[in-house]
Amino acid sequence: MSATGLIEVKPDAAFDDGERELVSVDGVEVGVFSIDGEYYAIRNRCLHDCGPVATGAVGRKLVGEFLEPGKRVEKGYAEDEPIISCPWHGWSYELESGEQLADEDLVLPTYDVVVEDGIVYIDG
Amino acid sequence: MLESDETQPRQETLDQYHVIDGDCHYMESFHDVAEYMDEPWKTKFEGSNFDEKGAKQNLSSFFPFSTGDRQAHGKITREHSSYPDAPESPERIRDGMESIGVDETLLISHLILAGAGTIADDDRESAFSKAYVEYMLEEVLDPDDGIYGLAPIPYGDLDASLEILDRIEGEEAYAGACFVTAGATPPLGNRKYDPLYERCEDLGLPAVFHTGGAGLDEYVRAGYQEMIETHTLGFLESNMSQIVSLVCQGVPEKFPDLDIVFMESGITYIPGLIARLDEEYLKRPEEAPLLEKKPGEYITDIYYGTQPLEISADTAYLKQCFEIVGADSLLYASDYPHWDYDRPTTVAELPFLSTDEKKQILSGNAREVFDL
Repeated sequence: MSATGLIEVKPDAAFDDGERELVSVDGVEVGVFSIDGEYYAIRNRCLHDCGPVATGAVGRKLVGEFLEPGKRVEKGYAEDEPIISCPWHGWSYELESGEQLADEDLVLPTYDVVVEDGIVYIDG
Repeated sequence: MLESDETQPRQETLDQYHVIDGDCHYMESFHDVAEYMDEPWKTKFEGSNFDEKGAKQNLSSFFPFSTGDRQAHGKITREHSSYPDAPESPERIRDGMESIGVDETLLISHLILAGAGTIADDDRESAFSKAYVEYMLEEVLDPDDGIYGLAPIPYGDLDASLEILDRIEGEEAYAGACFVTAGATPPLGNRKYDPLYERCEDLGLPAVFHTGGAGLDEYVRAGYQEMIETHTLGFLESNMSQIVSLVCQGVPEKFPDLDIVFMESGITYIPGLIARLDEEYLKRPEEAPLLEKKPGEYITDIYYGTQPLEISADTAYLKQCFEIVGADSLLYASDYPHWDYDRPTTVAELPFLSTDEKKQILSGNAREVFDL
């Protein structure tokens, strides 16, 4: 059963950490992800070449810090910025905002995810 | 009988503009520079039979030299320069400038252009560069008369390079530091060069990257047969390699107040490189984590010498290249007296630039970048 404007995904308890589900929202496919206790939802259509981005690898954003001249740039992964990469060509997006990592003007549609009465919904 | 075109700059055009030449070459001779060298290089140079031959083609006995004859087997001569086979004298600099319509000039070593491919040791480049800096300061440069220099930086030797930057601190005659891009290994975005960029930034000196046409077939790929091949590709390879390295390794982010200038590959390669690199960056931004914007936006922050400007290209295409790079990023450069030099008329007579844009390119930008 779906609430008004909400598209049911599946029970919260059935979502393992790191798991994803693909659901249809108004005729388009959306990937819903459970990552470290947070839910994210993005459209499964890469802005580059329409690839199945929501089926791609989930990772963390690599960031670099310039410490001082002549030293290696310190590189590491941001812990709280999950990203997803399209398996076709590697275009990567922040799951939270949908922004392409290389160009924040390219924004993959994202969706709000809510949990009501133990059920995960996309707020379509 | 018509006089040679070299004595007839289109005066009516040039009179409208004050012209600063971002890239002119003084034909220093090994003989003259050797006088300023430390031992053992002084003795080595003096005994190496260079004598007064200066930039003669047979300098390959010291520095490697690429395929071909720059004068195209006698086709090209210079009335107001000793180029190519004799050393220049300082008095003649003004003759050359006036012959092409230049008011102020920045001189870059002619000989060091071939030397950058010398990777067998980092000692002789340092010896040459240090002596060149002293020689030019003592005998050639004349800032009161609008004749400035760029100090060659033997970047393979950081200590020697920093000594040179220390030496030119506060010297009005030196308006920038010159990195010869040909053969730079590792490429110039590598962190090992950071101290040089940091020092240039501190001194307010632009880092001018000047390639050399020599050496493509020495250090990239052997077997080319004609200079039209090596000269076309060598400049592009050198500049594109170093631009990509500087940008991807984040030099503009590390040293945001450093002005970066690239000379001598025309301008039409820049939009292509921007498109190529931006396309790549969209797929692999994690490999350039210091960037805060697309690489192409850093590339258009760089200044570019216009020479050799592709004035024979389709006008609409050339206009678009100017628009992409931006008139605020372009510096007129002659490369005089080298064989493919450009006169200021190449810029002044472009049909699609406004008068203000021409003024920017012919002198305004250079005045700002080089703090003249």
